Amino acid sequence: MAGAIDYFQFVLAPQIVIGLVLGVAVILVALGLTIIFGLLDVINMSHGEFYALGAFISVSLAALGVPFWLLLILVPALMLPVGYVVERVLIQRVFHSPDRHVTTLLLTFGLGLVLEDVFRLIWGPNPLRLDTPIRGAIEVAGLFLPLYRVFMIGIGALIIIGTALVVYRTRIGAMVRAAAFDRNMAASLGVPVQLVYAGAFAFGVSLAGLAGVLLAPIYSVFPTMGRDFILMAFTVVIVGGMGSIAGAVIAGLFLTQVQAIASLYISPVWTDPIVFGIMVIMLMVRPQGLFGRLGHA
Amino acid sequence: MRDALTNSMRASHLLAFVLVVFALITAAVGAAMNDTFYLRLATEALIFAGLALSVDILLGYTGLLSLGQALYFGLGAYISALTLMQVPSFWAALLVAIVSGLVLGLVGGFIALRVRGVYFALITFGMAQVIAKVIYNTRALGASDGMTGVPIINVNLGITSISSASPAGFFLVVLAVTMVLYALVAYLLDTPFGRLLIAIKANDRRVPFLGYKATTLRLGSYVLAATIATVSGALYPMLRGFVSPELLFFATSGNAVITVILGGVGTLVGALYGSILLTVLKSVIGSWTEHHLIIIGLLFMGAVIFFPQGLMGVIRPKVAKWLSRGGKS
Amino acid sequence: MTTPVLETRNLSIWFGGLRAVDNVSFSVARNRITTIIGPNGAGKSTLFNLISGAIRPRAGGHVLIDGVDYTAQPPYKMQAAGLARSFQITNLFFNLSVAENLRLASQILEPWRMAWRPVSASKAALARVDELLERFSLTEKANYQAGELSHGEQRRLEVAVALACKPKVLLLDEPTQGMSHGDTQDTAELIKSLTSDVSVLLIEHDIGLVMSLSDHVIVMHQGQKLAEGAPADVRNNPAVQAAYFGHA
Repeated sequence: MAGAIDYFQFVLAPQIVIGLVLGVAVILVALGLTIIFGLLDVINMSHGEFYALGAFISVSLAALGVPFWLLLILVPALMLPVGYVVERVLIQRVFHSPDRHVTTLLLTFGLGLVLEDVFRLIWGPNPLRLDTPIRGAIEVAGLFLPLYRVFMIGIGALIIIGTALVVYRTRIGAMVRAAAFDRNMAASLGVPVQLVYAGAFAFGVSLAGLAGVLLAPIYSVFPTMGRDFILMAFTVVIVGGMGSIAGAVIAGLFLTQVQAIASLYISPVWTDPIVFGIMVIMLMVRPQGLFGRLGHA
Repeated sequence: MRDALTNSMRASHLLAFVLVVFALITAAVGAAMNDTFYLRLATEALIFAGLALSVDILLGYTGLLSLGQALYFGLGAYISALTLMQVPSFWAALLVAIVSGLVLGLVGGFIALRVRGVYFALITFGMAQVIAKVIYNTRALGASDGMTGVPIINVNLGITSISSASPAGFFLVVLAVTMVLYALVAYLLDTPFGRLLIAIKANDRRVPFLGYKATTLRLGSYVLAATIATVSGALYPMLRGFVSPELLFFATSGNAVITVILGGVGTLVGALYGSILLTVLKSVIGSWTEHHLIIIGLLFMGAVIFFPQGLMGVIRPKVAKWLSRGGKS
Repeated sequence: MTTPVLETRNLSIWFGGLRAVDNVSFSVARNRITTIIGPNGAGKSTLFNLISGAIRPRAGGHVLIDGVDYTAQPPYKMQAAGLARSFQITNLFFNLSVAENLRLASQILEPWRMAWRPVSASKAALARVDELLERFSLTEKANYQAGELSHGEQRRLEVAVALACKPKVLLLDEPTQGMSHGDTQDTAELIKSLTSDVSVLLIEHDIGLVMSLSDHVIVMHQGQKLAEGAPADVRNNPAVQAAYFGHA
């Protein structure tokens, strides 16, 4: 019995925490992706690059002396106009073509390529680090938890809950859901659909940027970090259901926990194939994911 | 009464012929100047043109965007390398590649064709990533370093034999293989089978009412595309002497898609010209700056927005018109 | 009594609480025109979807072609059984030429191995295309994209595409929908001329057309078969009048 408790305390629980840390970030990124798909019907293949952009900007601003708590507010705020411009200037151009799914996918794929190389141009190819803003650890029920990770999980959870509240309980959220459900009907009811689209895209991208800031002190920051991260985010969105916020949260928690705990028993290099395998199986068996789409849920 | 689709295909053939003529000139000039680098680069462009061809079959004709076609290309390369290290025979490697392509295509198609559209794109993306990571982590296959030591082979053509080490010689061999692949695909796409693929892209809901099973047709297209990609990949280790997991990564699949879009989706010959275009762009821009991806990426985005029909998409209809005027009715 | 070319028995499908098609049984006589009429929402197109294999009769029933049970078979098998249909909302290959639309539909007349030979080798299919272009007055528009045709021409092409495979029974879903008066009359003549080769099951709204074309009329209302009989009998049926006008 004591052995089991020890196992839990020293092996399993820390791994669960690691899973939660990743989970929170993945959910933030996946939320943005799923909102963009649920509302605009656009697959943003460059979404990972916006996550990376958030991380890179925070590294640069931190080097200029900006304190971390300010970064948490500033960086997502900076990402909003970036997202808005991308949506209005790029996405809208191909939005009305008959095969919108394919063209926006290709367009954002191209954007991702460009952004990745821009990162290399501005910040160089080598990994950068952001210092952990909150050092030390606390002991809770015999578990030894690094403070920053606890903080990160807390902030992330707050933002996620806040997003859900905004979407489901506010007037703005109602407009977003209406526009997702039936664009023309929403427009005739006075919903400023263009603004809602651009705003949703900007918000989604901003969430990704926030995830980038939050994870920057934990993982290093390098140009291809978006590409590696986006696969997990896509898997979460697909398993949870494209356009479903609840789905992104549940699938995000589930998959990151699976990965965290599986890496205790299997070499970590195999957990990625397992996670992607889950995505493929999901697409074969139930392509719409666990839950419905935004507006339809 | 001339069939418009057949006319377009004939225009493709003419443009392909022009390409072959240029290629032969290139080989002659390169051989005369004892060049190695540019001929090998051109050979590589042709090998990747085969991969682009396989993407066009799916995207341009069947209406399926595959973001993981490099899976078959890379597997073809690995299988070829393994075969050559046991049996250093060009024909053996090709044969193994063809059979592998058919089998892998069936398996992959069974998995991927459950869904269409965006989900198909993501599932092909996922499949390629999974296998790429598995290979990346498999020591027996060289892990992240890949496998080197693929022997130089002699391509036995009966009356003569060409060494894979000969820049001009092997260039001609690859040109021949690529053009055979092109010819095969072009032929099939102008048959009722090929026309049904085009019909699926145009309106897949009506096709079953014409008496055909859309899923079987898609599978046929997918297996064809997989085999083309596998055979093209099989040529890679013969040229470069090694294989690495990069061949399966998303960058390779992505490049193929860019090639098709820039070259002209749905024209077949666009895949060939696109590959040459992309290789030239990469070399030229790459010589100015390390960050050629920014420019190529922007070009690609520009093409998607302003020029979705691509280079051959603009040129081919003009050639088709010219042909139908000059031809008999 | 001869076997009807098409017969349905107790065909039913429910969507949630809605009985879209409820226990519908009827038969289509060989080389005759049978017309289904009914107010909007009566379930007529859903009935066509059930018969042609687009959806399955999950709540029960059978579809028989020439006495053979083809219930719940997918569309390509229904086609092989000799059934073809046109669509209420034009469902052509819009970015392909008129000729190509017809050729695609005619190819099924050729043996399988012709699928691997060049298109120009399928002489029977190409001859059928010319025949259809002639019959449906579309010869001049043969090389036009189907999407470029006028609405009336597109509706004609819809019927031609369905007819291409030489079916036994042809299901036409509101073929004259949206047509001008002249086009409608021409199309009616055309449909009448079809009965020498095929049996026709027609959905129509134009009562004048129904009266002049039909050999047999079936009235549907709220998913059920309300009445059937000769055109004049159906028109004078009080229950039918009540369904359409709300009173007898």
